Amino acid sequence: MTHAIEVRNLTFVYPDGTLALKGVDLVIDEGEFAAFIGQNGSGKTTLSKNIAGLLKPTEGEVLLFGRSTKEMRIRELATSVGYVFQNPDHQIFNMTVYDEIAFGPRNLLLSEDEVRERVEEAARIVGLKEEYMEESPFFLPKGLRQRVAIASILALRPKVIIVDEPTTGQDWKQSIEIMDFLKHLNGLGHTIIIVTHEMEIVARYAERTVVMAEGRKLLDGPTNKVFAEAETLRKAFVKPPQPTRAAHALSHYGLRPDVLSVDELVTEIIRLKASGAGDNYLAQRSLGGR
Amino acid sequence: MGAVAEPAIKVEDLWWKYEGRKDWALKGVNLTIERGEFVGIVGPNESGKTTLVMAMNGLIPNNYRGVMKGRVVSVGMDTREHTTAEIARRVGFVFSDPESQFLTMTVEEELAFGLENMGLPVEEIRDRIRWAMEITRLDEEFLEKPPYELSGGQKQRVAIAAVLAMKPDVIILDEPTSMLDPIGKSEVFDVLVQLRRSYNATIIVVEHRLEDIAYLADKMILLYYGEVLRVAPPREFFDNIPFLLKHYVYPPEIMIAVHRLREEGLYDGPIPLRFEEGVKIIEEVLRA
Repeated sequence: MTHAIEVRNLTFVYPDGTLALKGVDLVIDEGEFAAFIGQNGSGKTTLSKNIAGLLKPTEGEVLLFGRSTKEMRIRELATSVGYVFQNPDHQIFNMTVYDEIAFGPRNLLLSEDEVRERVEEAARIVGLKEEYMEESPFFLPKGLRQRVAIASILALRPKVIIVDEPTTGQDWKQSIEIMDFLKHLNGLGHTIIIVTHEMEIVARYAERTVVMAEGRKLLDGPTNKVFAEAETLRKAFVKPPQPTRAAHALSHYGLRPDVLSVDELVTEIIRLKASGAGDNYLAQRSLGGR
Repeated sequence: MGAVAEPAIKVEDLWWKYEGRKDWALKGVNLTIERGEFVGIVGPNESGKTTLVMAMNGLIPNNYRGVMKGRVVSVGMDTREHTTAEIARRVGFVFSDPESQFLTMTVEEELAFGLENMGLPVEEIRDRIRWAMEITRLDEEFLEKPPYELSGGQKQRVAIAAVLAMKPDVIILDEPTSMLDPIGKSEVFDVLVQLRRSYNATIIVVEHRLEDIAYLADKMILLYYGEVLRVAPPREFFDNIPFLLKHYVYPPEIMIAVHRLREEGLYDGPIPLRFEEGVKIIEEVLRA
């Protein structure tokens, strides 16, 4: 079976000599929702840019649906994978919202009718109203600028969508909106990768988490299993969300250390209370202390 | 010297509408911030938080076009009757994007810039820079570096040091950590803790992340689409979790968890302000 993404022994050196990735292997299948986390300088952004074909491997290779990014033409790349920059302003440069979203499809040499269809579809998915189409994207609030940036990627209909720091500078409401929207795209069959520092967001949305540290893959697995690795995460300076940390700190009472959310934590506490596990712990301790 | 201490900031029925906009950004805001208070301002984006703090140091109405009603008195100065430059000496402002604030080629020049403009003697300038660097934990080695070569957290510390060196009565920080990675964020919060300890100024912080502000603040303000909905000490402010969630303020998850335990009838004490306090509460619940 061909994987959506297959990273083989990827090493990447920046022109200034910085060794950013040291032999990374990674497989992501179609329809996954994954998060790349790790400190700044850990290699998570370099990895995601290599997957997006924005950077090409120094050694090793990146395969998208079985094809090496080194062999792919821009058009093929653009329809396989789209990369949304952290700062939408690094991406936006057209005078109107319509032209911004139409830029990609026009470069695919589609007819203006097809372009219009793509733009309208992308705008509808991200919830951009018709009235914004002739406005300058630069004067929209940040939340809307980000939607324009995502729409302009969607209009290319890429199978994989990578979003760098989707929630930075957003408030909670906007963060939830953006993330629910990415989840919606995931439901439509797109493979989603987010690169982020926001652990609550990872816990809530990503089924799979890849932890990067010093250019290497430190952990990779289901998010709850990854966050339960408290000792390893500490080395990568990653702080799991508060419910996970609380459960870990109190795991000697029988709390499962792999809870991710407030809901799970509270359910665990109630379960323990009902089973009298707290009493058992105390009983054991007093026995042991004798 | 007057015996009655006037408040640091007094906002009276303040309305503000940016030129060309339909809606009022601020709708009748009343607030008093006392001297020496540490105040956290929270609320969803587009609620007018930045507008409100810009009104406190005179950037609004003096440097923006729009319609203003009501009045703001900052350290005794009616902001309409003083220039932004006059007010800025007493009310310092740190932006969320430190780079937007840098004017010079080295950290040293950056820190000296405001002080030279104040016409202070060289000795005094040197002392103040040393003092500001100590509080913001900047090493001497930084002085010769260009600000843009520093990490995000270091840049923000330089921006804070530059404001601090002016020894303002009030320091306003508008989302000082929102552009920073977790390490940068904690660097800046460490500086806020230092500021609180070693400098008796009024500190006003606009911040989304409540984990750290919850235990630092004397007073929390919820601004919601132009209106002040709640002003309370943190213990009271965070006591009503559903109210905060309803207004798109997301409290630290440990607080939400303890709130839920209260709803389940497993706990009846206060909401914890620190993570460790929350863990202790859960432990007590488990042992009870």
